[in-house]
Amino acid sequence: MIFEQLQNEVTAILARYPVKRSALLPLLNLAQAREGYVSEPAMREIAKLLDLTPPQVFETVTFYTMFNLKPIGTFHLQICKSLMCALVGSDDLVAWIKNQLDIGPGQTTSDNMFTLSVVECLGSCGTGPMMQVNDDYYEQLTEEKLKRIFDDLRRDGTCSLKSGPFMYPESAAK
Amino acid sequence: MATTQETKPDLVTLTIDGKSARVPKGTLVIEAARQVGVMVPHFCYHPKLTPDANCRMCLVEIEKMPRLQTSCSTPVAEGMVVKSAKSDQVEAARKSVLDFILANHPLDCPVCDQGGRCDLQDFSHEYTATKSQFQELKRVFQKEYFSPLIETQMNRCVQCLRCVRYCDQVMDVKALAPVGRGTLTEIKAFGTHELDCEFCGGCVQICPVGAITSRMSMYEFRPWMLKRADSICGYCGDGCQITYQTKNNSLIEVSSTHGSGRNNGDLCARGYFGYHVSEHPERIQTPLIRQGETFQPAIWEEALEQVGQTLLAIKQQHGPDAIAGLITGRCTNEDLYVFQKFMRGVVGTNQIDSSVRYGHLNGVRALQRVQGTHRWTVSFDDIVEADVLLLVGTNVTETNPITGLKIKEAVKRKGAKLITIEALQPAVGTISNIVNLAHHHFGVRADGFQGAVLALMKSVLETRGMAEDVKASATAYGNDLMAQLSGLAWSRLENRTGYSLSDYGHAASTFCQGKKVVILVGQDVLRASGGYGMTMNLLDLLLLTGKLSNPGCGVAPLAEENNDQGAFEMGAVSDVLPGGFSIDHAESRTAVSKHWGRSIPDSSGGALPQFLERMQSGAIKALLVVGENPLGSLPPVSGIEQALEGLQLLVCQELFMTETARKAHVVLPVCSSAEKEGTFTNTEGHVQAVRKAVEPVGDGRPDWEIFSALSIIMGDSMEYGDVKEIGKEIRNVLPGIRPLGPTPIPSKPDAMVVCGYVGGEYRRDLDSRYRLIDEQPDFSDELLVSLRQSLFHSGKFSLKADGLLKVESEGKLYVHPDEAARRNIGEGDQVDLCNDRGTIRAKVGLRERIPMGMAVFPEHFDQEMRGLLSYAVDPETQVPYYKLAQARIVKV
Ligand code: SF4
Ligand code: SF4
Ligand code: SF4
Ligand code: FES
Ligand code: FES
Repeated sequence: MIFEQLQNEVTAILARYPVKRSALLPLLNLAQAREGYVSEPAMREIAKLLDLTPPQVFETVTFYTMFNLKPIGTFHLQICKSLMCALVGSDDLVAWIKNQLDIGPGQTTSDNMFTLSVVECLGSCGTGPMMQVNDDYYEQLTEEKLKRIFDDLRRDGTCSLKSGPFMYPESAAK
Repeated sequence: MATTQETKPDLVTLTIDGKSARVPKGTLVIEAARQVGVMVPHFCYHPKLTPDANCRMCLVEIEKMPRLQTSCSTPVAEGMVVKSAKSDQVEAARKSVLDFILANHPLDCPVCDQGGRCDLQDFSHEYTATKSQFQELKRVFQKEYFSPLIETQMNRCVQCLRCVRYCDQVMDVKALAPVGRGTLTEIKAFGTHELDCEFCGGCVQICPVGAITSRMSMYEFRPWMLKRADSICGYCGDGCQITYQTKNNSLIEVSSTHGSGRNNGDLCARGYFGYHVSEHPERIQTPLIRQGETFQPAIWEEALEQVGQTLLAIKQQHGPDAIAGLITGRCTNEDLYVFQKFMRGVVGTNQIDSSVRYGHLNGVRALQRVQGTHRWTVSFDDIVEADVLLLVGTNVTETNPITGLKIKEAVKRKGAKLITIEALQPAVGTISNIVNLAHHHFGVRADGFQGAVLALMKSVLETRGMAEDVKASATAYGNDLMAQLSGLAWSRLENRTGYSLSDYGHAASTFCQGKKVVILVGQDVLRASGGYGMTMNLLDLLLLTGKLSNPGCGVAPLAEENNDQGAFEMGAVSDVLPGGFSIDHAESRTAVSKHWGRSIPDSSGGALPQFLERMQSGAIKALLVVGENPLGSLPPVSGIEQALEGLQLLVCQELFMTETARKAHVVLPVCSSAEKEGTFTNTEGHVQAVRKAVEPVGDGRPDWEIFSALSIIMGDSMEYGDVKEIGKEIRNVLPGIRPLGPTPIPSKPDAMVVCGYVGGEYRRDLDSRYRLIDEQPDFSDELLVSLRQSLFHSGKFSLKADGLLKVESEGKLYVHPDEAARRNIGEGDQVDLCNDRGTIRAKVGLRERIPMGMAVFPEHFDQEMRGLLSYAVDPETQVPYYKLAQARIVKV
């Protein structure tokens, strides 16, 4: 029962929506935050909470690429493969990772540290090639940078190269 | 009664491909086109579903509108000019839609069961787009096992989502998921699990291509090889129209057509996957005559001679009342009619009964007594149009699935308010659950419905009072009932049912707002102690609120077996004459016996429970059993075993060697409903034609032929050339029986009878009906075990249906997960159920919809379970009650 220890969060989420099933995505996020992926028991529990059937929850999970249906490594490497990043070498990064970590898209290293996914545009086209690791962005990637990022992550669990996506200041954007 | 002004819907005139159409406002262009004969190609549109407009196949050109429009989602407007077949632009658009679909479609028509009736094939031929211009590789989905009955081949899917929407919108099951997105979407169940659902076959039937097909007939046919026969499903009282499809005299599949039958093309698992019963290898092929412990095959002449002569001898020696007959409501009206005519006219006894005695009779009797009809005063259409529906003890999605669909449609699509008094609790599961849709739900134990019914009545009358005309014209009746209800203290009712005054108040105010109120009464009421009284109370409720005679209002008892209603109307009940009249009704006696040229015996005969007694005492020497299996269905405490033992002659007309047939002296093989002609009357009272689809197995004969042959041997010939002759006689004897037609015309309450009832007849059993049934002792540790019909079976008969056994092949004792946890029991564990009648072993299943303190066991597998049942007989209607047991549960 993954939501047993999350009663407060669940109650808060459910309270936000007049229609129960609207809470589906937030609950899925919660489940994924907890377990790293959306497990079958979690889907069943959510279905029960929202008066849905498990297939209805399942279909929603599969619609969104950001939900994982399988356990993933500690760090989820999501390399953008859309056009802009592809033009500046995202393919090479994928190949380099295959070479260095021995994982292709959809695979996880045997030490359960890294899972690789290739994803569509993450909105950092100007600073490609780029990837998202868990919630952090890493931009203008090179093989050297990747190496350092992976070493840091392995050692410290974080890396100082992480950046937000580049944002114009609010006022300038107007 | 004030005449209501029929308001004509606003009509809109438009032109489609040069043809002028006049259709009601709100009609979709695609439907308007169909009405003037313009077929617009489409995949995702289906008249049963809300428009999704996802496939773009139905594009049409509409003058003054920019771009092409999807005709499946565009409502008509006055003066619209639509071009479909006559527009080059449309033609090009459709071609390119097909181009995209064919870009991925495998074109494996030679191995696809849909070939020959596939929309994609048809449209591709029409637009000569036999292959796509796209050169890319086609998507290929990994083939996965889907389910025992339904197969998917997702490479063929055109992603119209009709299957998913049907399962959700119509069935309310929601078992199918479109998984993934874009062209890579595939239809799956849950994760890697196989499909677990109602297996209604709706998704198979609604898929426009061969992406979802039935495994029951895989690779066995091409549509043009099949011979079709439109007939009626032989399982439940809903009476669905089905089409048997046969090849070389063997049943290949069953289908149904949108727009036809009372089911409007929908079916349940029993109807869609249960048809193989007829071809089961264990069918009895020849007449069998007992020789010591075994049976010897015999020829018809020999077997009939033996039966006929023995009957004659018994009659001569002991009188006609030494012979009794029991027939099943699965027989056709013609069989039932000839049966009772044979028993009354040739044998000379009224000692006959049928499966209608097991419960449906309670409902029919109550209707007759209060409103003078033995049929509903509403039809399925009234259920769909109702604004308030009250369900009492129905479990309708399992017992009468199509009635269930009508309720779902009324609630989900038309906004009807639903009040349920049911043992089930709301919980989403793999099969639908009607109480999930309820606005007011009273979840009371199966033995506590009466308390909830009375509480709801009391609340309705206390808040709204009686209707004015009842107050004025039936003052005494109104006052007496009010007095009865006032005598019931709220505290007791609240205690008994676990719901409060205000819960009932809310439901009562919903009830009172209803103008078209339909009350459905199910097996849990009709087959349980107090069932007759409760049906009477519900009729009182409609009477007191002035709704009984309003069009669209009525009490509707649900028939379990396909022709229970017909069994009553044909007079296959000891005290009922053909036409549903009482055996003492002088006029009908004269009329019927004049038609027959035979007299009708005087003694009322006695119902099944009585002739069980008379069999035990030795007064009855011979029993004819037609398609019934009393030994397999009645509990041992009823004394059935001893009753059969003493018989000189037990004849069974059967399809299979049932428990009862094994004890018989002579067993006669008969035709299944797929092998004969006739009519069935469904629960609404609609008479529908049964047609022969295949030749009888072995030497099987229709039941009526057997009675007719026996009458000749007994020297009192009752000959018929064919079924039509019997039909003609039935219509002559019962001028009231309505002819076959597409829809039933509901009966109207007989004002005279209603008058007599409120004028004083009601007093007869008033006290007993309005007295709370005695408090049950507190069984904190025992379970109330209820034997119930499962969605996947019907009686013991369907246990011979391969398809249904693939879904449910054993009986489990279903309890709530918390109830199980409390007792430290898990899914699949073995438990012992014990009470003072015995101990039996059962396997546990978990279901969230079963309330605490209760357990449900599918009655079809009840062989041992029957040993625990209690047995009682209704004093008024002689209905035997044996569906409940109180037992301790012990883990083994
Ligand atoms: S067969 Fe099952 S999946 Fe298909 S429509 Fe019926 S309930 Fe849904
Ligand atoms: S399986 Fe059939 S009905 Fe379902 S989406 Fe595919 S083509 Fe449509
Ligand atoms: S069992 Fe009843 S609901 Fe199911 S198909 Fe037959 S008649 Fe229809
Ligand atoms: S293309 Fe890679 S972030 Fe937009
Ligand atoms: S039928 Fe109209 S878009 Fe599919």
